[in-house]
Amino acid sequence: MNGSPNSGSGCNFAPWSDPKEKPLIRFDAVTKKFGDFVAIDNLNLKIYEREFFALLGPSGCGKTTLMRMLAGFEQPTMGSIMMRQQHLTDIPPHRRPVNMMFQSYALFPHMSVEQNIAFGLKQEKRPKAEIKDRVEEMIALVQLQAFAKRKPHQLSGGQRQRVALARSLAKKPKLLLLDEPLGALDRKLREQTQFELMTIQEKLGTTFVIVTHDQEEAMTVASRIALMDQGKLVQVSTPREIYETPNSRYVADFLGDVNIIGGHILGPDDKEDDIVQLAWHEDYAPLRIRLPQPVSFPEKGTERWVAVRPEKVRITKEYPTDTHNILKGKVLDIAYTGNISTYHVETEDGQIIKSQEANLEHLHRRAITWDDEVYVHWRAGGCVLLER
Amino acid sequence: MRRFSFFNASALTLGFAFLYLPIVLLIIFSFNESRLVTVWGGFSTKWYSAVFANKGFMDAAWVTVRVGLVSATLATILGTMAALVLVRAGRFPGKTLFSGMVYAPLVMPEVITGLSLLLLFVSLDFDRGFWTVILAHVTFSMCYSAVVISSRLVTFDMSLEEAAMDLGASRMATFFQITVPIILPSIVSAWLLSFTLSLDDLVIASFTSGPGATTLPMKIYSQVRLGVTPEINALSTILVVLVSTGVIAASLLTKRREVQRRREERAAVAGG
Ligand SMILES: Nc1ncnc2c1ncn2[C@@H]1O[C@H](COP(=O)(O)OP(=O)(O)OP(=O)(O)O)[C@@H](O)[C@H]1O
Ligand SMILES: [Mg+2]
Repeated sequence: MNGSPNSGSGCNFAPWSDPKEKPLIRFDAVTKKFGDFVAIDNLNLKIYEREFFALLGPSGCGKTTLMRMLAGFEQPTMGSIMMRQQHLTDIPPHRRPVNMMFQSYALFPHMSVEQNIAFGLKQEKRPKAEIKDRVEEMIALVQLQAFAKRKPHQLSGGQRQRVALARSLAKKPKLLLLDEPLGALDRKLREQTQFELMTIQEKLGTTFVIVTHDQEEAMTVASRIALMDQGKLVQVSTPREIYETPNSRYVADFLGDVNIIGGHILGPDDKEDDIVQLAWHEDYAPLRIRLPQPVSFPEKGTERWVAVRPEKVRITKEYPTDTHNILKGKVLDIAYTGNISTYHVETEDGQIIKSQEANLEHLHRRAITWDDEVYVHWRAGGCVLLER
Repeated sequence: MRRFSFFNASALTLGFAFLYLPIVLLIIFSFNESRLVTVWGGFSTKWYSAVFANKGFMDAAWVTVRVGLVSATLATILGTMAALVLVRAGRFPGKTLFSGMVYAPLVMPEVITGLSLLLLFVSLDFDRGFWTVILAHVTFSMCYSAVVISSRLVTFDMSLEEAAMDLGASRMATFFQITVPIILPSIVSAWLLSFTLSLDDLVIASFTSGPGATTLPMKIYSQVRLGVTPEINALSTILVVLVSTGVIAASLLTKRREVQRRREERAAVAGG
């Protein structure tokens, strides 16, 4: 589950942090209302060329609406969407250099695989030979040579998904929108297709915007992830940043598993000056959290939260040394998921702390078991301080 | 599965007998050798030859077929347009009124429809004949085709049209390359339905027809008033066969489309 920011375009690919770089797509204060309901709420966003941009968020938060505005099926109620120097709002869907792969695939049932892929090219009235070459190229890309003459209903779900992908890629769009493209695939095929997508992106240099419910998928393919909630962007960052330094409890909780403890700022640590202390319970020592550089201390007494990922919480029977935060508790539950075990530890005041350990040895040798008195501990650099 | 009891069987038999006995009798007596309609005199197809030799009948048949072809085509086009507006246009002022008005002629007594059309043609000083019958038939059969086509459009997946537009097809191109081919079975069944409706209409045609535009049902009716002949039986049998072929073809198309859609849906679900 660890984020690996491996956009298809190399490790140093970060146009968003380069002020000279011009975005491909720019949302300026875009609001979309359906009647009184605000689906997209004053949204600002820049997407750069060759990005693999993932949209994440709970159901109904407006991801599809955002995509549909890019494709031209919905008009923003307020604000503007620019593509380079052009107002997208003025361009009807069939004139936009944007193609969309629908969640339902939307393959034309009366056309064969070939005809489906050729449809977009035919609309441009390109020469026959060119269309034929391009269709063959696309069919080879998604490895459907044996199925070119079949109708959609004669294909499996995975094959259809690849037809939809080939069809949306055929016109070499500047921007490709993928609305939950891999939702229908089993795990193996999904992983395989994720890599295919990244390869395609590397080959064609297309900009991808992908909606997904699967955060692992977003982590794998995306150069940046945008997390949405109720029509607003909560955080837009690289997979590593959004996982390691979420900007709110909402983000921390949405992506992966997390322990969150609330408290009040006490002040700097007396030994290390980039560590802040958080008072969270009168019977316990304050928690210590290393702040990111450059350090700016929050005011004393303000309410803050600390978030720590279970895999960064160690669990031992002996009192640990060389660590910053130590809590004593009792093992309440152990969840075994093959490669890892998650320990649910209850502290004396009822706080549950989750700790994950890789299963290095066979289970019957497990050193820690139910009802054991244990210490859970983590270092100040392993957790983050959250404002909201 | 429910039990097929004696009661069910007899109810079914009685029901079907009630519905079809008269028609079966008509068909049997059309093969009667005897000139007397109610006395069986042996098997013969001579009345059919007589029908085909009768110029009055043949002229009427030709008028009927032409009226049917033209009015069914017009009704299907208009019905498709009405269905598109009903299903696609979202809410607009007067939508409820419009949809009510499209469906109203379905339940309007034919006599009223015929009479009001007659009044219209008279007041506009139209010469009644071939074209007035066509106009009248379009008026009522387009409601049926609107119903048939809109029931298909309701289940039409809009994302197919969006996908087409997304791939660069204009609205027009999308309609003719995507929408029409996909709903074609229901367009054809709407056409067949309109055609058969036109074929067997008597009341409205009687009101709106004029000299030289006698349709087959009108001809039969006027003949019957002079007495039922075996010839009429034969002619009616031909009409029955034509009409039932049309209706069966229309419902088979609808059925096949339904089966096809269900198969596609099942495939989609199985894939998903
Ligand atoms: N045409 C519409 N009319 C009215 N409300 C709409 C319309 N389209 C979307 N909405 C509403 O806008 C909100 C956002 O919808 P959207 O489809 O963008 O959600 P989503 O993030 O894609 O959700 P999911 O993950 O379930 O696909 C939802 O609450 C939805 O009910
Ligand atoms: Mg959606």
